[in-house]
Amino acid sequence: MSTSVASKTRGSGRRGSSRRWAGSAYTRRNLLTGLLFISPWLVGFLLFTLYPMISSLYTSFTEYHIRAESDWVGLLNYRQMLADPRFWKALYNTTYMVVVAVPLTLLGSFLCAVLLNLKLRGQSVYRVIYFIPSIVPVVAGSILWVWIYNTNNGLLNTALGWFGIKGPSWLTDPAWAKPALILMGLWAMGTTIVIYLSGLQDVPVSLLEAAELDGASWLQRLWHVTIPMVSPITLFNLILGVIGMFQYFTQAFIFASAQSSTAVSGGRTLGAPLDSTLFYSVYLYHKAFINLKFGYASAMAWVLFIIILICTVLLLRFSERWTYYGEEG
Amino acid sequence: MVSAGTRVLKQRYRLRRLLGRVISYLLVWLMAFFFLFPILWMIFTAFKPTTDVSRFPLQLLPHDVKMVEVEGQLYPLYVVREPGKPPRTMARIKVAQGQATFVDPANPADVLETRNRYGEPVLTVKFEWHNFVDAMYRGSRPGLHVNFWTYLKNSSVIAILAIIGTLVSSTPAAYGFSRIQWPGREKLFLVLLATMMLPFQVTMIPLYLFFTEFLHWGDSNLPIVVPTFFGSAFDIFLLRQFFRGIPEEMLDAARVDGASEFRIFYNIVLPLSKPVLATITIFTFLWAWNDFLGPLLYLNNPEHFTLALGLQDYQGQRNVAWNQLMAASVVFTLPIVILFFFAQRTFIEGIKLTGTKG
Repeated sequence: MSTSVASKTRGSGRRGSSRRWAGSAYTRRNLLTGLLFISPWLVGFLLFTLYPMISSLYTSFTEYHIRAESDWVGLLNYRQMLADPRFWKALYNTTYMVVVAVPLTLLGSFLCAVLLNLKLRGQSVYRVIYFIPSIVPVVAGSILWVWIYNTNNGLLNTALGWFGIKGPSWLTDPAWAKPALILMGLWAMGTTIVIYLSGLQDVPVSLLEAAELDGASWLQRLWHVTIPMVSPITLFNLILGVIGMFQYFTQAFIFASAQSSTAVSGGRTLGAPLDSTLFYSVYLYHKAFINLKFGYASAMAWVLFIIILICTVLLLRFSERWTYYGEEG
Repeated sequence: MVSAGTRVLKQRYRLRRLLGRVISYLLVWLMAFFFLFPILWMIFTAFKPTTDVSRFPLQLLPHDVKMVEVEGQLYPLYVVREPGKPPRTMARIKVAQGQATFVDPANPADVLETRNRYGEPVLTVKFEWHNFVDAMYRGSRPGLHVNFWTYLKNSSVIAILAIIGTLVSSTPAAYGFSRIQWPGREKLFLVLLATMMLPFQVTMIPLYLFFTEFLHWGDSNLPIVVPTFFGSAFDIFLLRQFFRGIPEEMLDAARVDGASEFRIFYNIVLPLSKPVLATITIFTFLWAWNDFLGPLLYLNNPEHFTLALGLQDYQGQRNVAWNQLMAASVVFTLPIVILFFFAQRTFIEGIKLTGTKG
């Protein structure tokens, strides 16, 4: 009991901060215990996050040599980046995915969640079916879709053939490579559907009933009640989707390595066909681990970080207009 | 006493309801087809005999040519359609330079010599279980004594170590961030939240150099496994949310009895936290099982490949055997699907937790 009294008197006098810490045995002991408990994370943070951040920031201003001292080159890497057409191509491809794939995934997930929330028979089975693709490992799923997209005897083009449509060369036509990746992404959006579905189930029934009594149609209720009520979830999924899309890598890597059977480790196929799947993280990987341009790649990483920060801040800023957080605001 | 007008209105209402239900069912089924069919395609391709994989026209179920016994030996059965003659079902006993010899299985003396292309194989559904054996023993690089069993073992080792690492490091950290009062706690927690925003690419290169050049851990799973023993921000966040919900009185009662913080954490908080620990275990398993970039960076020798890396390596080769590749993919996916069916609630609750409390 005496310890809690001591902790209460801690802030009473006008003492220096160091005295204040030392002033209470209870606080000091708690500080030590607390730090002891979080020490695994704290060490990990210093070793695996803070140090690498500082190091990569420094590296971004250098020309890196593995076996020798690196040369300080100032802003050279950043200036080279601005003049590098492949950098811009990678940024364009990634922006395309952020602008097209992320909203499409959100819309698709929301509509699927609406379907799964209808009072239909067998919904528990459909919920499992909609979710299952999202737990297929990304590498296995991507390889499966490479097989489905096969131009001559793939499943998709065969099915299109039944309707008299000659399907494109999904993987080797630069115009179709990104849509192919997006369609595959939609197939694996089960996690987002689950999040939306739980949001839909939290929409108060009383609100929907009140709207129905006032004569609102199903679509009007969806538009004026349901969508505003799940808007915080939309914001959350939007931010996660944007952050994730800037780091889009594995799917593009698998699709590109399906282009040619050789030289995957040599990285010559990365971005294939014709750089249409050269996404930001793919190009960064290429620069770092194929070209061994660690300085340039570090500069790219920091630019990526800044882009993600700006996007997140902008999304949060503009979300205030369309996000509803209940009565208390 | 119901007027004709209200009856019409009622009928119209019923009709609209019915139409709405029909459309709803059609849409639900259409999407279910979109999600399910690729998975069925993966499973059925995995069972297809090699000759069936690219057979035209495509069929969902695996097929093989029907075999028939002629004088003690098995031969493939064909429907022979010679122009201007009725089709006959015969066994093909020889084929050379476009010419084939067919015999009537019921009457082996009835021999027909004609062009091979007039014959069309008679198909029968056949599940080729042996694809799985072949796939598992083949591995991505023939010639090396490495196969998918090796990859399965490597993936399992990484997953188990990652789960242990995450549990022993993230749970105490979450306790320290939620149930012990100490100056600076909230500020440090903000730092932890901020690290979740940090893209991996920012730390990727220095970490790579640190692990391979400085510690010489290249070509081992250490760079993938060791960091999991130092806490994961996301898991600490989830655990902290849960720990905060435990009533303070329970912990205070133990404190009055003189229990140390570690005892309280170990004997009171952890037993109460089984649901969230299960969530963390599953998420960590999924992450470790799925991870591609980590193994791609650090593992060079096929002996150390994980399933994800081995599968990609296999796919990158010339003349991919799609049935075996799909069989390996099924094996790769199966543990997760089994886990899902055993712990469906934990999966779904975990996702909801991240989605609504994040």
